[in-house]
Amino acid sequence: MTEKYIGTSTRSKEGPRHATGRGHFTDDIVLPGMLQAMILRSPHAHARIAGADASAALELPGVAAALIPSDVVAYSRPFKPGRYAAGLRKPIPEYATAVDKVRYMGEPVAAVAARDRGTAEDALDLISIDYDALPAVVETADAMKPGSALLYEELESNIAWKGSLTYGDIDGAFKAADKIVKENLKIHRYSSTPLEPFAIIASYDAASRKLTVWVNAQVPEVIYDALREALELEDIRVIIPDIGGGFGQKIHLIRKYVVIVSLLAIRSGRPVKWIEDRSEHMMAAGHSCAQEFDVEAAVKTDGTVLGLRFKEIDDVGGSTSTLTIHFTNKLNNLANTYKVQNIALEGWSVLTNKCPVIPNRGIGKPGMCYIWERIMDRIAEELRLSPIDVRKINLIRPEQMPYTTPSGNVYDSGDYPSLLATAVEKIGYDKLIEEQKRARERGRLLGFSVVIGVEPGGRNAARDMAIFPEMKESPGSGGVNGATIKLERNGTIALYLGSPNCGQSHETTTSQVAADVLDIPPDKISISTPFDSDLAPWGVSAANSGNNFHLYDIGAVHGAATKLREKIFTVAAHVLGADAAQLKIEGGAVHAPGSPVKKLTLADLGKIVYGNQAMLPKGVEAGLQATYYYTFPHAEPNMVPGADRKVRAQFTFSAAAHAAVVEVDRETGKVRVLRYLIVGDNGTVIHPNVVNGQIYGSAAHGISVALGEGFVYNSEGQLLTLTLTDYGKSSTEETPKVEIIHRPSPSPFTTLGQKAAGEGAAIPSPAAIASAVENALKPLGVKIRDLPLSPERVWNLIREARR
Amino acid sequence: MIPAGFEYFTPTSLPEALELLSNYKDDVKILAGGQSLVPLMKLRLAKPRYVIDLSGVGDLNYIREAGGAIYIGTLATHSDIEHSELILRHCPLLAQTAATIADVQVRNRGTLGGSLAHADPAGDMPAAILALDAEMKASGPSGERWIKAEDFFVGFLTSALEPDEILTEIKVPQLRGGKSVYLKAAQRASGFAVVGVAVRLRLAGNGNCDDIAIGLTGVTDKAYRAKTAEDELKGKRLDDEAIERAAQRVMDRIDPLEDINGSKEYRAHLAQVYTARALRAALAQK
Repeated sequence: MTEKYIGTSTRSKEGPRHATGRGHFTDDIVLPGMLQAMILRSPHAHARIAGADASAALELPGVAAALIPSDVVAYSRPFKPGRYAAGLRKPIPEYATAVDKVRYMGEPVAAVAARDRGTAEDALDLISIDYDALPAVVETADAMKPGSALLYEELESNIAWKGSLTYGDIDGAFKAADKIVKENLKIHRYSSTPLEPFAIIASYDAASRKLTVWVNAQVPEVIYDALREALELEDIRVIIPDIGGGFGQKIHLIRKYVVIVSLLAIRSGRPVKWIEDRSEHMMAAGHSCAQEFDVEAAVKTDGTVLGLRFKEIDDVGGSTSTLTIHFTNKLNNLANTYKVQNIALEGWSVLTNKCPVIPNRGIGKPGMCYIWERIMDRIAEELRLSPIDVRKINLIRPEQMPYTTPSGNVYDSGDYPSLLATAVEKIGYDKLIEEQKRARERGRLLGFSVVIGVEPGGRNAARDMAIFPEMKESPGSGGVNGATIKLERNGTIALYLGSPNCGQSHETTTSQVAADVLDIPPDKISISTPFDSDLAPWGVSAANSGNNFHLYDIGAVHGAATKLREKIFTVAAHVLGADAAQLKIEGGAVHAPGSPVKKLTLADLGKIVYGNQAMLPKGVEAGLQATYYYTFPHAEPNMVPGADRKVRAQFTFSAAAHAAVVEVDRETGKVRVLRYLIVGDNGTVIHPNVVNGQIYGSAAHGISVALGEGFVYNSEGQLLTLTLTDYGKSSTEETPKVEIIHRPSPSPFTTLGQKAAGEGAAIPSPAAIASAVENALKPLGVKIRDLPLSPERVWNLIREARR
Repeated sequence: MIPAGFEYFTPTSLPEALELLSNYKDDVKILAGGQSLVPLMKLRLAKPRYVIDLSGVGDLNYIREAGGAIYIGTLATHSDIEHSELILRHCPLLAQTAATIADVQVRNRGTLGGSLAHADPAGDMPAAILALDAEMKASGPSGERWIKAEDFFVGFLTSALEPDEILTEIKVPQLRGGKSVYLKAAQRASGFAVVGVAVRLRLAGNGNCDDIAIGLTGVTDKAYRAKTAEDELKGKRLDDEAIERAAQRVMDRIDPLEDINGSKEYRAHLAQVYTARALRAALAQK
């Protein structure tokens, strides 16, 4: 293959349609006779449902169908607990709506479908639900107390799961330590607030018992399985049009709504559309998990970390369906970039009357990086060492690659010392020390930091068995995803991807790979959209999640294009009377070596394989189409966890050092980010602009998370941040320019040396900001433990320090 | 996101609008720019049965100079005000304040009259209007009356307008030789004032403070003039000590709001910080 296109920022395939407003989203689709749905949601954080009546709503002209909890129980079945609920000790049936109790404000309770949305909104007012209010359990500390009101009586406790994992000799490490450094840390609830909330259309053909849904879901498997389980249907078609951002929001809870909308379509006999509004999305589409950490590091006086242990309390909200994801995701970057061999973690998943938690850009990984990078700063402070030196002495060295971490991850490649050193140099660390001295003399609070983190990529479906090896239904293992490629009759190439995408330029990037394999320009390659489960070669890794794309989709496209090329050569060699091994593709034609006349254009080839049997070699299948299902060839060892609980949580490891410079307004507590620099290793960069886009976006999110965005509940479990105005996301004005430097170490394990970039900077950036703000406030003795660092929080920290 | 049903009127004259208002005054909303009302209706937080759209009423959108004052029609948009040469020349505080409101789209549709009549405790314009000693013309069935800015803001989303009155005009006196500034701690997303301070001052020949007005918004349930703070400065030299002393007084007899944008303590603190900053910024003007 050539490398003409890989590594260059080729013209965007999807950019023009989005820039000109021609994207094709679920809400753009209009079906004949389609109804509009609205969902009735619980106003209570915790209540028993005593009764429900939709008869008045059904009498409103224009209303075609309504669902109340008794209908949901009658016409659907509960979901099976999936891999996200690993560790659940008793099966908890969870239906698409609340049926006996509501456990969070905004939980869906009932639904209507009407001829237009205004009528459906009017009808909501006419559905009556009788609630017996129960005490709201809002804080994990209260939820864990004996005698607390219970979310699930059958679990006999709000602690829905607890467990621990130990790798290496943790007791030995703490015995051998010169010093134990301790810290309590906390990360709050936030979301990625995609521009497009949930959007669903369901259409049921009763004659053939076929259900078709259009949905902006990130993971077709979740939708497919949910519909099969809940509706007991066999023939299901999931179509995924353009998606306006995912980030994990559209993986899990969206399945409830697909079932609700499908039930409305089945009951009314008409297609039904439901477009979630922003407030619904904020209250019920899923939040990241608030996590509290009690961290201890065993260290030598030179800063060497012998062992790390931590306790984690996860506030998982009002559902058991994502019980342990934030804990198990700690396995993905448990050792971060450090060669520490002894690590132990202990976790509690605590139910509260808040929105259920869901995967969110990095899931537990920002928390794990936060643990490491905060404790590194604390170690430096207590040992009076430079925070850079403490990190340096503990980093895995490039000559140790591939490196096996204590929990069984195999780091494929990376030069962490060089990433750190480059960040230190490019941010001008030594100069900043001087500048800070001068600033402090003038009363200014200037601070800076350098942190480092790995970014795992390519999910291993068996990871969750590490905490729950006795899982009844195997969640799968490793990963599978496919791609199909076809030489069209006119000589162009059609490519069908195995996964949907959320706007990360998958069409552009995959066309580069196919273009280089086939040596034809990317503009001759058309990517077929939308994703259609009836046609797409999809497997368990057909998920716009888990940083899967770079591994599984690129691997599948490369494999499919390679198969196609071989077949092109087989047929062309026969037609040209040449040796297939000597042929090459150039300028849209297959050429025989040394002969200017012995060539066959791809268009001619197209005519032959689809229409001219006499010219086909005997015994060769007609047509030029190839499907390739990719599996990661280096998935062993530790693909499936054994008794030692070691597991490859993910398969590739990008890394980045982040450097931040901030100034804190002493009077108002407002933090301004003056500089933000990232030195990243994303392996072979296929499309620099696409990768940079992922880095900008994820850095902007992580910085905003650190500086104030997040969900706020009051003591009654009422969510106060119901709109983007209240939620407090940073605007472009507050978001710094992100300086990006690439220092790739290509992966020896992947098709092109590529590694992940999607979760990216969202993992280390909260730690980078916390570290820089603490550095700025050092003259006042302020310690940063909790996020977010909103102006009022920082002002309070300054006030408390002065007392 | 679809408003509840309502009956919509587009009167073409002020008397017609006033008559509709008198008829439906119990459950009616006046639509000016719609930048506050329409979102509230779409969220069904407001469900008026009748909506009277003023856009068809002629001559409500103007900015004129007459007899030592600037007269602004109630439908003048924030954009009109931001870019008006008359306003930039005679009461630049109003233009500067308008430029800080939300975003261009909102400023292009939102109106001065709508913003004042809505009396949002976090609105920007009320602070400027107070600092400028403006007056509001209320038109009702029995004629017109002028309401001073200080008397106009009554409470949370409540102005001194009677249910059958429409705010039709704002009069801003031309004040010469002044310095003025509007500063705010803005809500991150909306730009609404968590705390906003408008300062207008004039120095005497000896450099002492000759005239001072401080309008605050966002702090409590309505925008207000900080009279005791002003008294600290009148006739005095505006040094750091005086400014700090004045800033300490802006919370006199004020019960601050508390919401997710700020606790009572933080709001009170911000009011003092931004008052001092606004005073310094105004003094620094040429």
